[in-house]
Amino acid sequence: MNIIESAGLGKRYRRTWALRDCTLGIPAGHVVALVGPNGAGKTTLLNMAVGLAVPTAGTVTVLGGLPAGSPDALDRIAFVAQDAPLYKNLPVADMLHVARNLNRRWDHQRAQARLAELGIPLNKKVGHLSGGQKAQLALTVALARRPDLLVLDEPLASLDPLARHDFIQSVMETVAAEGVSVVLSSHVVAELERMANYLIVLSFGQVQVAGEVDDLVAEYGASLEKIVLAAMRESGREVAA
Amino acid sequence: MTATTITAPAPRAARRRPVAWTRLAWVTMRQHRPALIGAAVFLGLVSLYLLIMGLQINHAYAQVASCHPASSGACQQLARAFTQEYWGGGGGGAVSAGGAQTVSSLMLVVPVMLGIFLGAPVLAREFETGTFRFAWTQGCGRSRWAVSKLVLLAVVVTAVTWAFTELFTWYYHAFLVDGQVSRLLPLAFGLLGVAFAAWTLAAFAIAAFFGALIRRTLPAMATTLVTWTVLAIGTATWLRQHYQAPLKTTALNPPAGAWIIGNYATGPNGQVLSQRAFNQLAQQAPASVQNSPNPSALQNWLAQQHYTQWTSYEPASRFWHFQVIEAGWLVALSAILIAASVWLVRRRAA
Repeated sequence: MNIIESAGLGKRYRRTWALRDCTLGIPAGHVVALVGPNGAGKTTLLNMAVGLAVPTAGTVTVLGGLPAGSPDALDRIAFVAQDAPLYKNLPVADMLHVARNLNRRWDHQRAQARLAELGIPLNKKVGHLSGGQKAQLALTVALARRPDLLVLDEPLASLDPLARHDFIQSVMETVAAEGVSVVLSSHVVAELERMANYLIVLSFGQVQVAGEVDDLVAEYGASLEKIVLAAMRESGREVAA
Repeated sequence: MTATTITAPAPRAARRRPVAWTRLAWVTMRQHRPALIGAAVFLGLVSLYLLIMGLQINHAYAQVASCHPASSGACQQLARAFTQEYWGGGGGGAVSAGGAQTVSSLMLVVPVMLGIFLGAPVLAREFETGTFRFAWTQGCGRSRWAVSKLVLLAVVVTAVTWAFTELFTWYYHAFLVDGQVSRLLPLAFGLLGVAFAAWTLAAFAIAAFFGALIRRTLPAMATTLVTWTVLAIGTATWLRQHYQAPLKTTALNPPAGAWIIGNYATGPNGQVLSQRAFNQLAQQAPASVQNSPNPSALQNWLAQQHYTQWTSYEPASRFWHFQVIEAGWLVALSAILIAASVWLVRRRAA
């Protein structure tokens, strides 16, 4: 089963194509890193996969053929957008209740236990949490939905090194415990080596490299970081030419 | 493969029960609790004022009403004093700040203030803060989410302002009861019956729609203020009198409680005189007629010249008829705007 599958997928905002002719199939059971420079189309691809944006061209399905954004797909995919948007004026406890009441699947005990473990107070307002705590709260809300697929858009971008470390740790523990598929985007490569076992390099709105990290490393005989940089340089040269 | 993909979704769709409306209602009430409390406190303070003033007015009016015989000089004096003190503006020249005339003028802007305050942020805030990316990717789906928010808040706003109208009608009763102030007058009509609630609902729906369209709270508020005000003034000064053709009379004083639309004169052949032609005609009247304190002197003289003076008016008995018409189109407009807002949410791409 492919958790995300697209064919000739494209998205145009007014006159510029944010993503063009994107054909890929991401198999289930991986932690997938979607890597690329800023403006490569990572967020656009993820937005279409979670049903926030509608494709201009092509198709995208999720979780083995469900149309993106369909009720079943929404039920089974948890998405954390960039900067983890949550309701800042609500206390943490009420934020949990809001999420609980917006979903059919919800594991409240799990959410509360996780917050207790992280030491995030329930009575504190979301807007008063630190960046790391806010990211962890967003992850908690997403995991309490018991998703089959967890999609994270730039989850590390606004976090300090320690918070990054903790966040990656949290994601890895979840994957180990429940085998949920994870797709996350990033423009920073260094941290991904620890967590991702599947790599997609997106550049100038097109897929440059896609495959299992182990296979890629064996094929190219280089580290993940070097593969990514080489792919980006290559695509840059093509566009320049 | 094809067979499984066609048959597989069916049982799942059957099993799937959408998120209950009551749970979505909880989300709406929790998220908009500060705004709803703010609106309740505001209306509560206004209600308290109306209650205190209303008690005074009704007490004073009881004395006027029980004065006997009503045509006596003392009673007339009492009635004049009552009007001057509690209605304000009339006779004495000075407009009393707490007079019902001033209060009702201020009350006319309450619907748009409430509507803007509650309606504009519903969708615009989500866009401004980016939280729509959270809300629209939850299991309930964005359509259900938008419908639950807009419909519930619209119902709450309408119900609360409707209840408020009952209090205001009680406060205003003394001025309306003898037909001194017409219920159809722009100053009264929008604050009575179902119009006050309908205008508040319309302000809410306009604000929510502009919030979805513009996606920023303050510009949505400003646009709503302008749109609603133009709509309200246009309705009061032009549209409302066309709900039903005005009646006309040659009597100098139209029936009590009537809303006077205008005066005009017709010539010997029934043609309508322009204002200028009428003024020229009136100047031809002898000085004794022009300077007469009796207003019927001019009318009698005009009648001798085969001219007739008319007053067009809407009778007080049409009040509820007009209320239903006005509330009807305002509710329809609000429903269309709420549907349009949901449609904007559905088609909006991130």
